[in-house]
Amino acid sequence: MTPSLPDLLIGQAAALTASQPVEAGGDYLAGRVGMLALLAVMMAQEAERGLAARVWENGAIGDLLAKAAPAYRLAPATDGGDLSWRALDQRNADLRRLLIKLHELVEARGDADLDREILALYRAMAHARRLDLPAS
Amino acid sequence: MTPLADALAAYLTRTAGAPVAVEALARISGGASRETYRYDAVIGGRRDGYILRRDPPGSLIDTDRRLEFLAISSFVGKGVAAPQVVALEEDGAELDRPFFIMRRVDGGAAASPFSADPYGEHREAIGEQFFSILGKIAAEPLAGLPFVEVAPAPEHSACWRRELDYWAGVIDADEQHPQPIVRAAIRRLRRDPPPTAARISVVHGDYRSGNFLHDGRGSIIAVLDWEMAHLGDPLEDLAWAMDPLWSPIPDGRVSGMIGVAEALAIWSRASGLAIDPKAMAWWSLFAAVKGQAIWTSSAKAWKDGGFIEPILAFSGWYTARRHDEILAERLSALEVA
Repeated sequence: MTPSLPDLLIGQAAALTASQPVEAGGDYLAGRVGMLALLAVMMAQEAERGLAARVWENGAIGDLLAKAAPAYRLAPATDGGDLSWRALDQRNADLRRLLIKLHELVEARGDADLDREILALYRAMAHARRLDLPAS
Repeated sequence: MTPLADALAAYLTRTAGAPVAVEALARISGGASRETYRYDAVIGGRRDGYILRRDPPGSLIDTDRRLEFLAISSFVGKGVAAPQVVALEEDGAELDRPFFIMRRVDGGAAASPFSADPYGEHREAIGEQFFSILGKIAAEPLAGLPFVEVAPAPEHSACWRRELDYWAGVIDADEQHPQPIVRAAIRRLRRDPPPTAARISVVHGDYRSGNFLHDGRGSIIAVLDWEMAHLGDPLEDLAWAMDPLWSPIPDGRVSGMIGVAEALAIWSRASGLAIDPKAMAWWSLFAAVKGQAIWTSSAKAWKDGGFIEPILAFSGWYTARRHDEILAERLSALEVA
C-alpha cells in the first residue's frame, strides 16, 4: 500500500538532488539512476490506475462490511466523499482496520462462506494494486 | 583520496603495521542494509582486491554483523562459494560505523532477480549449482562451526514460532498502513503450524536469485548477503529461494533457472533430507510473510530517511504489492486444499 504516489514523487526529487560522496559514482550511480527510471515507469502506472484502485477497494470493502454488519455488529466507516489521494488512503486505512477485525471474527466463528468471500476480496485487492515490471 | 578512503587507509595501516594505500574505492550495489564498497589495498607493491561492508546510518534490517561475519567464516572452503572474510570491527574503529572486510571475488556479476531471463543459456547449470549449494549449507554439521558459538539454536519444534514471532513483530513495529492480507497469513500460520523440523541447520536467511555472483559461463563463484543467517529449519531457506517474487516471468522455472520438481530434487539430494509437502507449504506461506515484513521496514526506512534511497522505495512499494498478490493467492489455495 504505502508509499503513496505523492510520496514517491517527492522521493524522486529528493533522490535526484541529494549530494553523494565521490565514491558513489560509476556503476553505483548508474544503478541508482536505473532504479529511479524504473520507479518512474511504475509511477506512471500508479498515476493511471492508482486512484481508481483506491476508489474501487474502498467501495468493495465497504460493501462487504455492510453485508456482514448485521451478523457481526461492526460500525460502518464514514465516507467524506473526498477524492484526494490523502483522503482516500485515510478512508482505506479505516476500512482495512475494520476488515481485519471482521476477518478475525469470521475465523473465530468458523464462517466458511464469508471467509472465502474475504479471501476472494484479498485477491482482487492485490490484483487491483499490482505494479507491472517493464518487459525488458 | 576521499574521506572514507583516508579513514580506511589509516585503519589498514594501523592493523597491518605497515603503510597501506587504498585505491579505486567505489561503492557498489550490495543490498539496502549495508553500504558495500570495492577497493584495492596496496601494501609493499602488492595489490589485492577487497570488499568493505559498513553499516549505514540507519539500517534496513536489524542484523548483527558478527553473525554475518561468522556465518561466512563457517563456510569458507566448504564448497558453497563463501567469500574469504578477513576483518571485523564492531565498534567501527576509524570508519565510525561497524564494518567488516572480505576478499573480493573478481570476474563475476549478480543478476537482477527481476530481469526476464537472468541466466540465459546457463540457466540449467546455474540452477543445478544454486540448489545444490543450498542443500550443502543445510547438510553442514553444526559441530565446530564458528557461527554456532554465537547463534542461538532453537528446539526442532520451535523453529517456526521463533521466526514467525520475529517477523510478525517487525510488521507490528514498522507498519504504516493496515495490511489485512499479511495479517490473515500470520493468523493462518499460527493456526496450522508445520511439522517439527527434520534438522537444525545454518539458514542463510536471504538465499535467492540476485544474491550470488556468477561468472557468465555457468558457474556460481560467490554466495553473498549472509546478514540474516541464523539456525533453524532448512526448509525456510528453500521456500525463500523458491518464492514467486524471484520468478517475475511465470514460465514454470524457479528464478529463471529450472523447474520446481528438479529444484526440489537437487536440494533433497544435496541436503540428504526428504521434503514434507505440509512443511514446505507452511514455509512457502511464511516466506511471503517474511518478505512483506522486510518490505514494510523498507517503506518505513525510506520515509524516515527523507525519501532519498530509491532502492528502499522500490522494495517498500513494488515488492510489497507483489507479495500481497502472492500471499492472497497462497491463502486461497490453502483454503481449497
